[in-house]
Amino acid sequence: MRPRWIKVFHDLWDNKARTLLVVFSIAVGVFSIGVIAGAYQIISNDMSISYAANQPANVELRTVGFNQDVLGSIQNTHGVLDAEARRVFNMRVRVAGTEKWTTLDMVAFEDFEANTVNLLTALQGDVIPKKREVVLERDALNHVDVQVGNVLEFQLQDGSTKTMPVVGVVQDTAMGAGDFLASPYAYVSMSSLQYLRQPELFNRAYVTVETGGDDIRHIRVIGADLKDKLEKNGTRVIRTRFSETYEHPLASTVNAILGILMALGILIVFLSSSLIANTLSALLNQHLRHIGVIKLVGGRKRQIFEMYLVLIMSFAALALLITVPLGGQGAYGLALFISSELNFNVLGYRIVPMALLIQVAVGLMVPLIAGLSPVISGSRITVLRALSGDLTGDESQPQGQQQTRVSWLDRMLIRLTRILASRGIHFPRPFIISLRNTFRRRGRLILTLFTLTMGGAIFIAVFNVRATLHAYIGSIGKYFVADVTLDFDQPYRLREIEQMVMQVNGVVGMEGWQFVSGELLDVNGEVLENINIFGPPADSVLIEPLLVKGRWIHADDVRKLALSEAAYGYFPNIEPGDQVTLKIDGREEDWEVIGIFKFVDREGVLAYAPYEYISQMNNLANRSYSFRLITENHERSYQNAKAEELDKFFRERGFKVRVAQAGRATLDTAVESLDTLVVFLLIMAILTAVVGAMGLTGTMGMNVLERTREIGITRAIGADDRAVMSMVISEGLVIGAISFVLAIILSIPFTYLLSTIVSLAVFETPIDVIYTFMGYVIWFGLVLVLSVVASILPARNAARLTIREVLAYE
Amino acid sequence: MDNTLIELKNVSKTYSTAAGDFTALKNINLKVNAGEFVGIIGKSGAGKSTLLNMINGVDQLTNGEVIVRDGGENISVHEMSEDGRALWRGRKMGVVYQSFQLLPMLTLIENITLPLDLSDNFKPRESKARAMQLLQLVELEEHANKLPAFISGGQQQRVAIARALANDPSILVADEPTGSLDSITADHILDVFEHLVSDQGKTIIMVTHDTSLAVRFTRNLRITDGELEHEGDSDESKKVDKTMRRRRK
Repeated sequence: MRPRWIKVFHDLWDNKARTLLVVFSIAVGVFSIGVIAGAYQIISNDMSISYAANQPANVELRTVGFNQDVLGSIQNTHGVLDAEARRVFNMRVRVAGTEKWTTLDMVAFEDFEANTVNLLTALQGDVIPKKREVVLERDALNHVDVQVGNVLEFQLQDGSTKTMPVVGVVQDTAMGAGDFLASPYAYVSMSSLQYLRQPELFNRAYVTVETGGDDIRHIRVIGADLKDKLEKNGTRVIRTRFSETYEHPLASTVNAILGILMALGILIVFLSSSLIANTLSALLNQHLRHIGVIKLVGGRKRQIFEMYLVLIMSFAALALLITVPLGGQGAYGLALFISSELNFNVLGYRIVPMALLIQVAVGLMVPLIAGLSPVISGSRITVLRALSGDLTGDESQPQGQQQTRVSWLDRMLIRLTRILASRGIHFPRPFIISLRNTFRRRGRLILTLFTLTMGGAIFIAVFNVRATLHAYIGSIGKYFVADVTLDFDQPYRLREIEQMVMQVNGVVGMEGWQFVSGELLDVNGEVLENINIFGPPADSVLIEPLLVKGRWIHADDVRKLALSEAAYGYFPNIEPGDQVTLKIDGREEDWEVIGIFKFVDREGVLAYAPYEYISQMNNLANRSYSFRLITENHERSYQNAKAEELDKFFRERGFKVRVAQAGRATLDTAVESLDTLVVFLLIMAILTAVVGAMGLTGTMGMNVLERTREIGITRAIGADDRAVMSMVISEGLVIGAISFVLAIILSIPFTYLLSTIVSLAVFETPIDVIYTFMGYVIWFGLVLVLSVVASILPARNAARLTIREVLAYE
Repeated sequence: MDNTLIELKNVSKTYSTAAGDFTALKNINLKVNAGEFVGIIGKSGAGKSTLLNMINGVDQLTNGEVIVRDGGENISVHEMSEDGRALWRGRKMGVVYQSFQLLPMLTLIENITLPLDLSDNFKPRESKARAMQLLQLVELEEHANKLPAFISGGQQQRVAIARALANDPSILVADEPTGSLDSITADHILDVFEHLVSDQGKTIIMVTHDTSLAVRFTRNLRITDGELEHEGDSDESKKVDKTMRRRRK
């Protein structure tokens, strides 16, 4: 091998700590981008394939009971490819012999073998339950501690129980897709319904369309036709849902979240590039003498440039060697995690060519770009300057170009020190040295501060985003103030329920609510979207709407409603006083918009109208299916206990309770889902912090190495180990403290940006930003710890040097 | 016949410092003939290293010209580009410094073959043989595969000389090559230089602050405050030279 390449090999191999620092600096960015790019590719590909593979229904119709004849009529509707009917009902179950009840959505199939829509995938055991047998969806296993072969107890309306063995486990990727809040599913055959005292009637129809499975407008038209047809036949449709075949309902959310992670990944690459630039620049400084020698014995710029280019590419190759397999595994792991959270399947481990390409491109290009400037300036250095060997700070300039004036910063520091000293405030001399040392290598300081500040700003911003999301959920919670929600399978008189609930200890109030669903139509009478109209009493104390425009509902409002902001998606200029056309029970009606309120746009267009009017529409005056209760204590545990107690209380008295649940249950589930997202963001923030800390460690290491002679002189005039160490650590702390101040400033735009992107992705609504001191406090503590930790190793190395060693350094 | 190999014409060098301009070399005129062993003697700061760096093109001059004759062609060192000077130096002029300037990660043989590599003269087998031949010349062949850190300072300096000779240049410039060596080792280095001049016909320019070495040169130049004070053959050194040659015979 040629001697110059032998030198390159030794540069790579001999200083392993430095090689590791550079390799890890490259690796951390490449890894992050590889994981996210890979996961993005896997998920965006597999999510829709997995979803489509199970023949998802394009139209879901939730109705009152219907029979096989109605199903036949659905199947014969023009444009319908296939249709299946099921009965879905809610039951409380527990493992026989245990205490804890869990609510499951029971799905009854007429014929499991004829399953062609929303296909079930067999996972374990028998997937076709016989009479009085049950099969569980895999998600149910997270809620009920049960295995195939165990027996479950099912609670009936009257409080009595029936038992059925669990014979198998299936996966149902289509049903409940996109519904974070759906209960876990269990499957029985229609022949078990009598045993469970359920009518042998269907209440859901799942329909696939013949053509245009990915045309949501076409699907809506078919859905509206089906709804009309059913309602004309006397089958009331409570709710319709539309989905495209190749578009998982959560695809846009997942892609948006991965997009955010990708942006953070790119930022990490960017930060790691500044770290690489810093380290390579220091490496070139350390190698000045070598470059001088090479030039002295005939080396030209191009040769030196090539040598260091090969060195950088070797660092990059080593980093890729680590990160390509790790990034592939990480990408698959992340995709697997997301897929299990959202109940779809990934198609198995594989190398994603695009992610691999991105990793290789980033792994090679970033160090190359980051290292180009130091390598070019290193190769251009004159022999004399290179051989002068005085590598410290600005002193490395040849005499002719040496700075002859004290910088404004140093003058300011000197003046400040004097002013403080004149007032009797004396800083220890080593600290003053540390303070001045901090600003000696300005370029390096700026790069280090940039990395550490960005890490800090993102870290703080993530905490602010978390607080923002929680605050938003909290404000949305004002639409769900009730402590217990009590739903029945049949309507009951308000007064009757009120008298009953007041007998339950701790219940202090009650309201009956009603609902009606319809479709929002455009000016041509085409269906735009489903609309659910909630009907709380006009004077309800259980809702505190976030009104954007207009007013809230009044008791005497007739065909007047308050609309959620999601309506802007269809009517950007809608104002209170305008009319909207709704189709309810097959009839087109014009309703007046009285107000517009803030809500989660993802939930579609919602509306509120007074109970007083909705109950008349539903012919249920003074009655309701759904009741909202207020208890004297609003804690979640208290709400749970009361829900349990009320459930038992009503069942024992023969009421047909559908579900009784804590008011905060829905919100808490939403918060849990958001916290999963925040954890991802936090992992990325920690990665940026790690890059920042690596940057600081590198900088401190380089500073110490370059100041070896000065340290020797300090020791020669009496500085002990402690003084030397404290000088180095103080410098690290000063850098950490400066970066903290800068991070506070930068965290403001970062918080805005991140909050807006996340809220648009998750809620499809921009939300107000909230700042929390928590992120600032944690980062302040963390940055101080990181600064000390990053400085300890270089400080120890400095303290270990003997005077003889350091003064013989040249 | 004009036997001049190196000629300095009105060479001046001025540095700008915080205290004002400082002239390190003042109108230096010098001719060095082929086969000479020229000693430039001066105190610290007198400008002797600066003068050497003007000759080998490591530093830029402020005024004047340095001409080196190469195969009948006159080459103006400072008219070449930085790269051009590096290549020319690598092929035509060996340089030895007080601090040896060996690359610590390369073995002795690799250090010696480095100039061959950089001047595109590297042929694995031949280059290795050439390096071994040079190591034999400086009596270090048994240490060929050691790293510089594992041999003494004197031995390192001999390796530096061997490296300077790798491309078989006709000129060797040495800046205080014995400055950090004990007297016996220094003597040995000077023996090598004398051998190169007398037996191989090399031209050597060496700077030193050690006046006692004057006797070893064929010509002595004294430099003080950037000016060449005295130029001429040293009778005493000639005497010593003759004695040395006689002793060798």
